[in-house]
Amino acid sequence: MSLLEIKNAKLKVDNKDILKGLSLSVNSGEVHAIMGPNGSGKSTLSYMLAGRDGYELESGKVFLDGQSLSDMEADERARSGLFLAFQYPVELPGVGGMSFLREAVNSRRKFLGEEELDHLAFVKEARKVASKMFVKDEMLKRAVNVGFSGGEKKRFEILQMAMLKPKVSILDETDSGLDVDALKIVSDGVNEQRTNDNAIVVITHYQRLLDYIVPDFVHILSDGIIIKSGGPELALEVEKNGYAGLINAA
Amino acid sequence: MLPNVKDNYITSVKAHVSQFEEKSFRKLASNDFKSWPSPREETWRLSRLGVLSRKEITPITPNFKKQISSMSKFNGSIIIRFVDGAFREDLSSKLPPGSYLNILGEEDSLKCFHKFKDSNLKDHPSTNVSFSCTPSIVKLTIEKDVKIRDFFEIIYEGGDDNSSVHPAFYIELKENSSITIIERFNHLSSLIMPLQLVELKKNASINSLKIFNDNQQSYNLSANCTFLSEKSNYNSFSLIKGGLFTRSETHAYLKGENCNLSLNGVYLSSKNQHHDLTTAIYHDVPNCTSKQIVRGVLGGKSTGVFQGKVRVAPDAQKTDGQQMSRAILLSENAIANAKPELEIYADDVICAHGATVGEIEDDQLFYLKSRGISEKKAKQILITAFLKDIINESVEEPIQNFVFEEADLALSEIISKEI
Repeated sequence: MSLLEIKNAKLKVDNKDILKGLSLSVNSGEVHAIMGPNGSGKSTLSYMLAGRDGYELESGKVFLDGQSLSDMEADERARSGLFLAFQYPVELPGVGGMSFLREAVNSRRKFLGEEELDHLAFVKEARKVASKMFVKDEMLKRAVNVGFSGGEKKRFEILQMAMLKPKVSILDETDSGLDVDALKIVSDGVNEQRTNDNAIVVITHYQRLLDYIVPDFVHILSDGIIIKSGGPELALEVEKNGYAGLINAA
Repeated sequence: MLPNVKDNYITSVKAHVSQFEEKSFRKLASNDFKSWPSPREETWRLSRLGVLSRKEITPITPNFKKQISSMSKFNGSIIIRFVDGAFREDLSSKLPPGSYLNILGEEDSLKCFHKFKDSNLKDHPSTNVSFSCTPSIVKLTIEKDVKIRDFFEIIYEGGDDNSSVHPAFYIELKENSSITIIERFNHLSSLIMPLQLVELKKNASINSLKIFNDNQQSYNLSANCTFLSEKSNYNSFSLIKGGLFTRSETHAYLKGENCNLSLNGVYLSSKNQHHDLTTAIYHDVPNCTSKQIVRGVLGGKSTGVFQGKVRVAPDAQKTDGQQMSRAILLSENAIANAKPELEIYADDVICAHGATVGEIEDDQLFYLKSRGISEKKAKQILITAFLKDIINESVEEPIQNFVFEEADLALSEIISKEI
């Protein structure tokens, strides 16, 4: 069974059709890349999956590991194993990084029937994962994303992904705002989490990220539907010829 | 005068005064209590007391055998208890060296009364009613050069349905002395009218925390009059969460150069509560600072009011006065009012004020929920964060956790009602 199944998803935002019958099936162990030009519906897709208010499906279905997401709030989806790495991670002044992470991790552990981690056990685990992601202890003590550089914000997103161990991760333009070195660190962090039991959906404009996170499948999203799917070579074709040719051909 | 309302309370105050031996300050005060403030009076426009004229309330006669219900919250604190508005020596701690309590006699009570009557609290209903009805004015004196590290914990409780209580507390800090004082208002009365006079002599300093947590049907009309001498510091934080109607009104007179005042506060309001922080700061001399940071969180049909007036006299050059009020509304039916006022007659000053009212930001709420954190918990995290810097800045470290716990209890109540 697919870990993530989107069937004929249609969605309006501000009364405008954005997703117009999108279908996608992602199996365990797979990495899918969704590429598309500005305004094709990429971010809408990620918000729809994560369950943001105002992004409810008009028709169609979405299943996470066989379970319908339609009646689930964003927090329930996350606890069930869906993770969204934000394109623009949100600043939370006054909310300490460590306590935020612990609240998130323990919410997921509780859902999975695992014992919640006490403060000491959690700090130990968080520091271990953080050091792999080149996230300094000092960053975990600061308020979430406040005063973080672009690279730090994205590293912190992937650190959360590593701590939460989701079934399906949606990485929304994780490459935006990153220099080459930061891109490598973030990609290494993502690659380390690839297993046969989870799946990753990478949403991006550019082929560049896919040099580091090599997808099994590439899909081209245009005007709210997937117009073409293929292997990694499809991304190279976009890089070479742009989206226009593919869109016209479709 | 409120038109066409027969006010039994005025009659009962006068009857109560007649029980005491003839004391001039009581008589003067009761003669001055002619009516509740009208909503046409600017400072009472947003916090109306009309309903008090229609209630059957009489000033309480203290029961000196009453059992207490509020326990101390701090190990090793110096406890001073007021029950039914009366000081209870039998339930209070022995005071440390350099500090003492006494009950003011006629002459000193009259002086204390005049300090209020010479201030802009002269027409505050608590000024007139509580000087008429208080069992006694209790004075805490801290001697020169005495710095007391243990907290003074003042616990106010007692009262019952249809009664009013009138604690009157006078704090004087002599030169170079300092204390931390935590006041907890836990009354059951319909009406609570605490009076407080604070005098800080040269280089004295007080850290003050007030927690207003009276019964859910109570009206608390607290009046505080503070005088600061040269180089003194008054750092005050109020957490208002209880009562049906709580108004904490503080008037601070900066009389000596280089003194620093902060009157910060948080109100957490739910259901049909009405919470009001009213301050008036009088910069009468140069080179002083004052700061007011107020935060409010409102749910249900509650109302929050912040009225802050800063007056800078013509001679008070180099004054630095800051005011900032922010409120978060968790319900469409809640109301936050902010009325900052600057009256500046000097030309070389820095004075700023600002006020915002808003809701929890959708982006922040979604971010937390997208990490598996429930909406209720996410709101609690965001609101606690909203209050965090002000609490950390205003309250000494050892009591910050206590304040957060006290705030959390009220926040859970507000948030659970909104989800």
